[in-house]
Amino acid sequence: MSAADRGGRTEPRSVAFRKEREGQWFELDRIVTKSMKGGLKSLDARELHRLPVLYRAVLASLSVARRTAMDRALVLYLEALAGRAYLAVYGSRRSTRGAIRRALFETFPQRVRSLLPELGMSTLFVTLGALVAMQLMKVDMGWYDAFVDPALANGRDPNADTQTLREVLYGGGEQGEALATFASYLFVHNARIGMLCFALGFAAGIPTALLLFTNGLMLGAFLELYASRGLTVELLGWLLPHGVPEIGAVILCGAAGLHLGKSMLLPGRRTVRDSLAHAGRKCALVVAGAVVLFGIAGLVEGIFRQAVTDTTVRYTVFVFNLTWFLAWLFLAGRGRKGKASSPLGLVR
Amino acid sequence: MRMVDPSVAPLHDEPGERRLTIVGPEGVPLSFPAASLGERAVAFSIDIVILFATIFFIALVGMFLTAGSGLTFPFGMTLIAIFVVQHGYFVFFETHWQGVTPGKKVMRLRVVSKDGAGLVTDAIIARNLMRDVEVFLPGAVLAAPEQVWGNAPSWMIVPASLWLLLMFAMPALSRERTRIGDLVGGTLVVRLPQAKLLKDQAQRTSLVPGAPQDDVLRFTVQQLDVYGETELETLAGLMRKTDEGKASVHDLRVVALAIAKKIGFSGPLPHSDPRKFLRAFYQQQRSHLEKKLLFGQRKQDKFDG
Repeated sequence: MSAADRGGRTEPRSVAFRKEREGQWFELDRIVTKSMKGGLKSLDARELHRLPVLYRAVLASLSVARRTAMDRALVLYLEALAGRAYLAVYGSRRSTRGAIRRALFETFPQRVRSLLPELGMSTLFVTLGALVAMQLMKVDMGWYDAFVDPALANGRDPNADTQTLREVLYGGGEQGEALATFASYLFVHNARIGMLCFALGFAAGIPTALLLFTNGLMLGAFLELYASRGLTVELLGWLLPHGVPEIGAVILCGAAGLHLGKSMLLPGRRTVRDSLAHAGRKCALVVAGAVVLFGIAGLVEGIFRQAVTDTTVRYTVFVFNLTWFLAWLFLAGRGRKGKASSPLGLVR
Repeated sequence: MRMVDPSVAPLHDEPGERRLTIVGPEGVPLSFPAASLGERAVAFSIDIVILFATIFFIALVGMFLTAGSGLTFPFGMTLIAIFVVQHGYFVFFETHWQGVTPGKKVMRLRVVSKDGAGLVTDAIIARNLMRDVEVFLPGAVLAAPEQVWGNAPSWMIVPASLWLLLMFAMPALSRERTRIGDLVGGTLVVRLPQAKLLKDQAQRTSLVPGAPQDDVLRFTVQQLDVYGETELETLAGLMRKTDEGKASVHDLRVVALAIAKKIGFSGPLPHSDPRKFLRAFYQQQRSHLEKKLLFGQRKQDKFDG
């Protein structure tokens, strides 16, 4: 017996469906619109409580309407409302207390340790570059200019006499303030190179490998220049305290870039797209941590290095830096899994 | 008659518009309009103007302080401040404004996570780390190639330039309008949907509940079996147009007579009040189709089944 035959109810079911739920939808729309304007912070406790409840209700309404309603306008409205509510609820995870501390001291070292093969590759490229530069310069000192950018050399080149080279290593006093500025320039320069090192990994990791190699060339050129004047011990005393975080950060960024390249070439069971996104998210924090390391290197370079000119103290600081660096990357955050955050991300 | 597909796909708005489907943690697929290239370009331009204005301001203050104090120290601080602003701008806003930057806010765009889970900070950092390579590096290559390449050999420059060009053109090439940063961050950029609930054309507004319905036209099951969903939606559209005053009584009469003829309506032909006829037909047709849908039978259009 159909309603049409009997002459009973003529209103479609979806009309009643809509009438019963309209109130909820409008309430949700009001809350979502408010949160879009002023963020979740602008919602009061009751609205914050109602948002996920109403969001789930509208999802249920949408699922029912898609299956049973013949009113396109209704389904489109619910699509849009559910979409807006989704963005309000899942738009961005609120940062919880201690998020930065956890990111730096738990997640960052964990991610670094998960990149061990890439770290090895990255170190290998830098070392190779250094060895090649040293060998070439043993044959002809002229190679120096090809490896070291004059802007970064700061007057240290094969034409300078041994005295000048030594003075650069122990420069302090009135030169100190200028050195701090130079250190901040170096920080910005190095951090940019580090980020580039990661981003260029998108080209199958090839530019990253090249960049690591050229950085190795530069390092090797310095080492050989000072070694040729018998200043190796002094140079290492000057280089190693800030070199630990700095070269470490270069290697980390390189590893991140190589991992990105690897994720494209060898996606494994994932699709290339998924593999790329997975690698990108995993490495983002490694690069961010490397920028922090560049900052620490800059501080050591700009403040400490000019104050301490004694080689023994410099080596002590090197050992100290190496200790915390290795402890941070290889011991911190062990045996701790990242806490599962609240499913709705609304807990503040 | 076709059986209803168990996996209910989201309804798609206009055929020309790109839609992106995201499945949230609740398992319900949601459909969003994809941000167009133009919208994204405008949003990015707005952000770049704000960013450059800020950097310019910092540089100005830094120069003033450096010149005033006679020290080089403020210059170093200025360099660091510019670095922080340049690389922190997008990350700061996208994390604190729920995937929105000032430019995106103006254009009503949003960054969302492709996997449907919340937008994590890792994804935001990743998508913005790529920005240098895909936007600023190609720009620098175009503006001052000799500075970027230095004395690199040409066998390196040519493939590298092609690669950069490809990265830059990526949003135009990909179906979802993703740039490289979106690929690496696993994100999508969508337009904020606008939710406006239109009046239900099947609602009986003229009758008080419980009032006698003798004057309502009746259609038989056979008559209601003629048309399907597509025709129903076309009819709803026509009635909405009438409400807005965009369709004349003459249009309605033509449609009403055509329907009456097609379904073999036996009652008085709807010459005088086509609107009443169409409303009654729409209501009963929708009831009929929705009832059949409950039993899993979907009739797409008049050619279906």
